[in-house]
Amino acid sequence: MTEPELPGRRDPVGPDELLAAYALDAVSDEEREVVERHLAASPEARAEVDAYREAAAGLADEAAPVAPPTSLKASILARLDDAPQVAGPRVGGPQVGAAGADRDDVASADAAPAESAPAASAPVESLLPQPATSLAPVAPAPAATPAEAMAPVGAGPAERAARRRWFQRPGAILASAAAAVLLIAGAVVGLNWTGPAGWGAQRQVETIAAADDAQTTTVEAAGGGEVTLVWSEQLGRSAIRAERLPEVGDDRTYELWYIDASGEELDATPAGLFDPDGGAAYVVLEGEFEPGLLVGITVEPAGGSEAPTSDPIVAFET
Amino acid sequence: MTVALAPALVAPLPVRRRAARSAMLERVVDAQPEVAASDPTVDDLLVATGAGDRAAFGALYDRTSARVFGLVRRLVVDPAQAEEVTQDVYLEIWQTAPRFDRDRGSAISWMFTLAHRRAVDRVRSAQSARDRDLRVGARDLDVPVDTVAESAEVRIEHERAREALAALSDLQRECVALAYYGGLTQSEIAERLGVPLGTVKTRLRDGMIRLRRLLGVTA
Repeated sequence: MTEPELPGRRDPVGPDELLAAYALDAVSDEEREVVERHLAASPEARAEVDAYREAAAGLADEAAPVAPPTSLKASILARLDDAPQVAGPRVGGPQVGAAGADRDDVASADAAPAESAPAASAPVESLLPQPATSLAPVAPAPAATPAEAMAPVGAGPAERAARRRWFQRPGAILASAAAAVLLIAGAVVGLNWTGPAGWGAQRQVETIAAADDAQTTTVEAAGGGEVTLVWSEQLGRSAIRAERLPEVGDDRTYELWYIDASGEELDATPAGLFDPDGGAAYVVLEGEFEPGLLVGITVEPAGGSEAPTSDPIVAFET
Repeated sequence: MTVALAPALVAPLPVRRRAARSAMLERVVDAQPEVAASDPTVDDLLVATGAGDRAAFGALYDRTSARVFGLVRRLVVDPAQAEEVTQDVYLEIWQTAPRFDRDRGSAISWMFTLAHRRAVDRVRSAQSARDRDLRVGARDLDVPVDTVAESAEVRIEHERAREALAALSDLQRECVALAYYGGLTQSEIAERLGVPLGTVKTRLRDGMIRLRRLLGVTA
């Protein structure tokens, strides 16, 4: 096939000819090595590749964004402790990332990409979130929000809107939840919870937190305060510790919910009422905990409701 | 397609311009409140991540994960595998963030580079070249149906990218798309298209040079 474009008679080509393809990851492993050796020695070539990569980022942005399942973030954050950071920009370490190699002025030391990094070399299986079920509800297509993932095809607009409303704020809250895990995880395991409220409940909470498989996460509540959820699949129980929650007055109460989001309909089951003492509370949820359930807290009329009547101030994924 | 896109091509947005190399200039740039001080840029967040700031890393994830996952999904179609790859990508971002050098490019481009490389590694190990180009083929400019969580910022970038890509010649776009979205090597592209390898190299290079210009990247 004849081409009006310049023919490729310059094959085999020098590494400079490969830079665009290199930036597109369209080179073979051998070519990649050639290019990376060249990059280590040539600032001009590095600048060239940098510019191609900026352009390639444009290609990346042409791919429509897709929100990953919310469980992915927690799963990543939970692994940071086992993923030490490399030293600064000019120091060649053994853990040069795949694309990091050529960014390093001493890249020649290690063309072997991220496989040398501890976390990256862990078997893929072990990197999956432990409860496989946490990934299941959003398959096959991760959706923008949990609400959308749960909205069955054909649900009416009003119905979808209602669901979305219920989950929109927790979505935002959940987004920050995982980060908080790291900050408090150590503290909760140590379990020196002291507080004015609920010593009996506190002991029960501690029992749950002491279970082998206990997990915990903390989020800020909409409207102020902070709530920690601790749960154990083995025990089939979960509990919350709340701090600094605002007073809701005598005619209203906080209500806990187990929410099953696996079916077509969101199924919220009341899991107990509580009224914080000075903003603090320890509460073991009523009913059986199963992994994958969402846990939510709403403010309801005194005496509680059969189904949530307001947006949750907090929602947890388990 | 191309005609309607012309205005954007005349004046590429300066969003993705590369950072100034001069430290003095950079300080000036930093001082400009292009976003509220309480709203750090993606670049700021990646730099802070490189200093070991986990909260910044969490915020970085929130700001970028839909874009990164969208790219990974584009190459690695299987959702479960795409999640694994994305997880590996973010762990690598965390680990290698200290090496990020904002003088050399934008944070998002650095992150996309990591993500693309890993996604390509995954598809190359998991799928034959034939499978890959069957997937790319006709739909390489289609938007997947299972989207989308887009901020205004992302939407703008997305449109810009579409427009720039649309402005390439058909032959250039075909090669670039097969390489970038299909994970094919130059040789595989040549084989698939039945053209000499040198032709593919030329198209890729010319296409990328053009794209660079359209997107306002200065070398």
